[in-house]
Amino acid sequence: MKHSSNSSNEAGSVRFLPDGVDVPLVIEESLLSHALRGGVPLLSPCGGESRCGKCRVLVDGETRGGGDPGVLTRAEIAAGIRLACRCFPSPENVSVTILPESRPARLAAYLDGKDLAGDEPFLPLSRTASGGNPLGVALDLGTSTLAGALVDLSNGTVLSRATADNPQMACGEDLISRVVFAEETPGGFDLLRGRLLSGADDLVRRLLETSPVPGEVTDVVAAGNTVLSHFLYGISPSPIRRPPYRPVRKEYPPVTGETLGSGPATARAQWRIFPSLGGFVGGDVVAGILASGMHRQEEVSLLFDVGTNGEVVLGNRDWRIACSSSAGPAFEGGEVGCGMRAYPGAIESVRIDPETAAVEWTVIGRGRPGGLCGSGILDLCAELFRAGIVDRAGRFTPGAGAGRRSTERGDGFIVVPREMSATGRDVAFCEPDLKSVLRTKAALCAAAEALLRAVGLPREAVAHVYVAGGFGNFLDLRSALTIGLFPPIPLSRFAPLGNASLAGALGALRNRRRWKEALSLASGTLYHDLSSDPGFMELYQRALFLPHTDEESYRFVLEGEVSR
Amino acid sequence: MSVVLPIPVFPGRILAVTLPAGPGGTPVTVGGQNALPLLPEGEHPNAPAVGMEVRTGPQELPPALSGAIGPFAGDPAGMARKCAGDWGARFLFLSLAGCHPDAGGQSVSEGAAVVREVLSATPAPVIVGGCGDEEVDARLFPAVAEAAHRPVFLSYAEEKNYRLVAGAALAYGHGVVSWSPIDINMAKQMNLLLADLGFPPDRVVIDPLTGGLGYGMEYTYSIVERIRLAGLSGDAALARPVLCHLGDAWKAREATDASEASWGDVVARGQRWEETTGLACLAAGADLLVCRHPASVARLSGAAWR
Amino acid sequence: MALTALDIYKLLPKTNCGECGQPTCLAFAMQLASGKASIDLCPPASVEAKEKLSAAAAPPLPKVTVGTGEREVVLGDETVLFRHEKTFYHPTAIAVSASDDLPDAGFASRLAAIRRLSFERVGQRISVDLVALRCGSGDADRYARAAAAALDATGLPLVLLAPAGPLAAAVRAVAPSRPLLAPPPEDLVPGAKLAAENTLPLRVRARGIDGLSVALSAARAAGAASLVVDPSPVTPREAVDFATNLRRLAILSRNRDLAYPSAFDLGGFPDPFLAAALLVPKYGSLLVLDSADPAELLPLLTLRQNLFTDPQRPIQVEPGVYPIGAPNESSPVLVTTNFSLTYFTVRGDAEAAKVPAHLLISDCEGMSVLTAWAAGRFTGESISKMLAECGIERTVTHRTLVLPGMVARLSGRIEELSGWRVLVGPQESSALPSYLRRLPPGAFLPVHG
Repeated sequence: MKHSSNSSNEAGSVRFLPDGVDVPLVIEESLLSHALRGGVPLLSPCGGESRCGKCRVLVDGETRGGGDPGVLTRAEIAAGIRLACRCFPSPENVSVTILPESRPARLAAYLDGKDLAGDEPFLPLSRTASGGNPLGVALDLGTSTLAGALVDLSNGTVLSRATADNPQMACGEDLISRVVFAEETPGGFDLLRGRLLSGADDLVRRLLETSPVPGEVTDVVAAGNTVLSHFLYGISPSPIRRPPYRPVRKEYPPVTGETLGSGPATARAQWRIFPSLGGFVGGDVVAGILASGMHRQEEVSLLFDVGTNGEVVLGNRDWRIACSSSAGPAFEGGEVGCGMRAYPGAIESVRIDPETAAVEWTVIGRGRPGGLCGSGILDLCAELFRAGIVDRAGRFTPGAGAGRRSTERGDGFIVVPREMSATGRDVAFCEPDLKSVLRTKAALCAAAEALLRAVGLPREAVAHVYVAGGFGNFLDLRSALTIGLFPPIPLSRFAPLGNASLAGALGALRNRRRWKEALSLASGTLYHDLSSDPGFMELYQRALFLPHTDEESYRFVLEGEVSR
Repeated sequence: MSVVLPIPVFPGRILAVTLPAGPGGTPVTVGGQNALPLLPEGEHPNAPAVGMEVRTGPQELPPALSGAIGPFAGDPAGMARKCAGDWGARFLFLSLAGCHPDAGGQSVSEGAAVVREVLSATPAPVIVGGCGDEEVDARLFPAVAEAAHRPVFLSYAEEKNYRLVAGAALAYGHGVVSWSPIDINMAKQMNLLLADLGFPPDRVVIDPLTGGLGYGMEYTYSIVERIRLAGLSGDAALARPVLCHLGDAWKAREATDASEASWGDVVARGQRWEETTGLACLAAGADLLVCRHPASVARLSGAAWR
Repeated sequence: MALTALDIYKLLPKTNCGECGQPTCLAFAMQLASGKASIDLCPPASVEAKEKLSAAAAPPLPKVTVGTGEREVVLGDETVLFRHEKTFYHPTAIAVSASDDLPDAGFASRLAAIRRLSFERVGQRISVDLVALRCGSGDADRYARAAAAALDATGLPLVLLAPAGPLAAAVRAVAPSRPLLAPPPEDLVPGAKLAAENTLPLRVRARGIDGLSVALSAARAAGAASLVVDPSPVTPREAVDFATNLRRLAILSRNRDLAYPSAFDLGGFPDPFLAAALLVPKYGSLLVLDSADPAELLPLLTLRQNLFTDPQRPIQVEPGVYPIGAPNESSPVLVTTNFSLTYFTVRGDAEAAKVPAHLLISDCEGMSVLTAWAAGRFTGESISKMLAECGIERTVTHRTLVLPGMVARLSGRIEELSGWRVLVGPQESSALPSYLRRLPPGAFLPVHG
């Protein structure tokens, strides 16, 4: 993308509908850049890199580009649909309608997290002398979602909870895309940092608005992955994406909101940011360990954080080892054509009748389904496999079953026909989607196997498996094991944690001993870099199969437990 | 006092697989062992078997091969008789390369006719290989399966086409070669996919893709060794005979280039290149070797002890 | 059995003090388990832990060196039975023989022939490592002169295959070059004494493993310490059996009395080439061959070069331009990385498209597309460099590149740096056939000016 300063005086503007926002027209900027500039919400999971094909807009007026034949059908191009990241305005006024599926919606879920470390006495971090009632904020800074909880620091009561999209999403869905954006876009780092800070500030303001008790925020405890923690702290995350993938810093000494540059709601508060373990295992995982209580047990546990990235921790009270699985965001709805996040309108569970291939589904909220969220995708894959519609290699079996259609994106299974969908298009799950899910699940499962192998422990030695992440609250564990998302460990050993990162941050906010524990967890947990683990690719290839190449172990685990 | 040797005892046993012969011919049975190759320990009911490739279509032969098999170019039946009759090949690998569009594009029915001709020319067991073009092979394998009037093996079934190849083989009672690109997990996955189709396990041999000496041999070596160790250790899906096709040995410049005088005689060198590739495969655990030079048949058969 | 990282961790102080240079005790335990660190680095470790861990860390097969300086040959010092378990460290040494009873000119030309057994392959020099000097003359002086001449002419370390008398004479002549003494079995004891006095390595030859067990005791009693063993097999099959069981005794049984590198004199063997080709993968540490024919040595040295590489390196494809079908100057140009599975997949899918094309394989150290991109190895810069340097600009008349959809983000940079136009290909290689067939014919028109 080229940037120039002298072309911004061209006449005209880009009008974004349905919001009705006018943005001054810059002929060399893509429509996506215009949307970003004007603060118009537009999904762009890949950060404007033309990869995801999700920033679909309907243009009215002269434009150039964005009619990519690899992504859009001829009919769509003819109807005026373009990819905003590849489409540039002409000097005339242009009107751009953001299609429903390209608009981020308000988030419903992703709030609750369990704290299994038990009830602790209320022992707040600090008592700042302030006029009003002292309040504390626990923040979970996720790659796609920000979540927060407001706590009355006089008694430890949780006053309100809220979530919001991470406004950085427009600059890239995955972390690497954002680091690249910060590196390659002039002013990119400041833009990303500003978006994170303002997103957090908006969230805190909402927490205060909905709180039954007024007061002043004196303490903020934030848990985020390493890249976001770097952005928040104002340091460049660039080194994280290059060998040896080390962050600039792993600890973030407490600072005031004013120093940090946070919004007015937390300007006078003391900010504590959870320490990171490594470039791709951050404070959110440390908070997750804290909430799981695995660091207090003699028995060995596995902790999975299934979010936009997937992190895995193995260990007990003496030792812990953690890694990032580089699993893609398939279970956050990314990289899957019909995928979406857990908004209203997303299919969250799926059953397929193996005889008739008839599909039953449940949708978050009311209304017509527009796509599938993580738990729905997981269910769908497991059901397609159980029904014999998909083989072990993740290919559709030829001619098997109704509901099959050849689509632009290859052979597909129609989950929701267009006449019943919210978008007027088929909700179709195609072979590339299957492959994407297969890769994600293989990366996650192989990451856990790699940790076990690194320390030389058999998987039978794992007494507990904790599944954290918003998705963890809703996933069907039997579906998960049916496709081999996790190593073959008996279902009875699994415990969902939900948003453990927020739960951990909340725990630390309410008890200063927990905060100290978090600091010591960071130095006592080893970061294992899978990219330099020579055995990882092989474990990955082993897991790239349904449920797994080691199918005997899965059969054993699933026998009796999953028989439909 | 004699030294006590730590000879490993394996719980598994490689499945015995038979390449069927025609009337009057000798079938080739491989597998059945419960120990590592080339060693006097354990049971080795069957020795590795060495076969030869018979190829259709035009081919440019390197110096070491042109003298030996050049006279049989364009005469697959004659070549087959020679291989099985005079050169000691225990089975034939009939490669229908001539059906590839880039190799003159014999029609599918012509390819099937060659199969019938070769099967009539000799009673030796036959493995029929496709031409390597996905679309042509999709028509070729069913045609070959139907045309073959006695059981053969079809080579090969891979993740992309296994339903088609295995389906054709099942319908007419043939076996298949299960192919994967130098990856033990993919080798196992292929066999599990075949098992899901109900394909009989004793009609499957594994082709792990054989890199030629100097050009990927080491990967093949370790994959074959690992497949064998896994099979002997009880992984049933990998307890199958392994086939190594030594054809890639002839893609090495060292096997074919006459211009380098310091490398020695190109005819002797080419032959040694194939032989060395084959010996490494035997050391790793291969049960079936396919070679292109007649001299390799005798040399490798001599090394292939029971 | 080798200790696991957790087994070792339990023996450590568990204080995460960091004195060893590792962030945690577990990290240090993992280093110890993989043999990358020594327990000496952990001062607070208990005496018991140190004893246990240094015993476990000692190489099961001792190291023996022959020769000095750059030409030093290392035998033994292996830790596994199968290369995929870790790696084979020290390549089978290959010695080619010369006999001292050749006429002078013949001897000199034989040495020259041995020196020429050195080849350049994929950026590495692969060569015969030693000269094995046979004593055909029985004359001590002649043998000693021949040894000096061989050393002088080739610079290679020597294996001295000679009875005690000539052996002693040769040792006087060339001892500083650290030759391997290889007396016949009947001269074992004087040979062993000679080795002990001059601290030289000794080859012990006896019939079978039982025979070696006895002979080794005698050699050790005579003071020889640096030993290699030849179980004198009579067939290739027996050679493989002996070599395998000697290696197993060292690694599985930890039998210190028999844990020595193996050496095989294949002169007079029924089929020395076959035995050599099997002993390279199957545990031969030193092979003596009478053949100096490059047509035999080049394949053997190549086999050795192949097998003594690190098997944990990802399987890579040689970077370069690969034709799909029969492409011409207006065929599409695709690019991907040199991870072998990536290559095989893309190649297969591109072939299925039936559209002839040029496939550029970029050197990404065997990483897949996304991994290589994330690691900064598959970048606008690296692809532009490849476009300029691989010769494709002479092969095709157009300047249009099809980029993997997963790294569409690189397109701008490539267009800027290379002047090529970039078409963003599909995310999944499996969509290549339909993608390539749908590409408009005008996409690859020649560039003008």
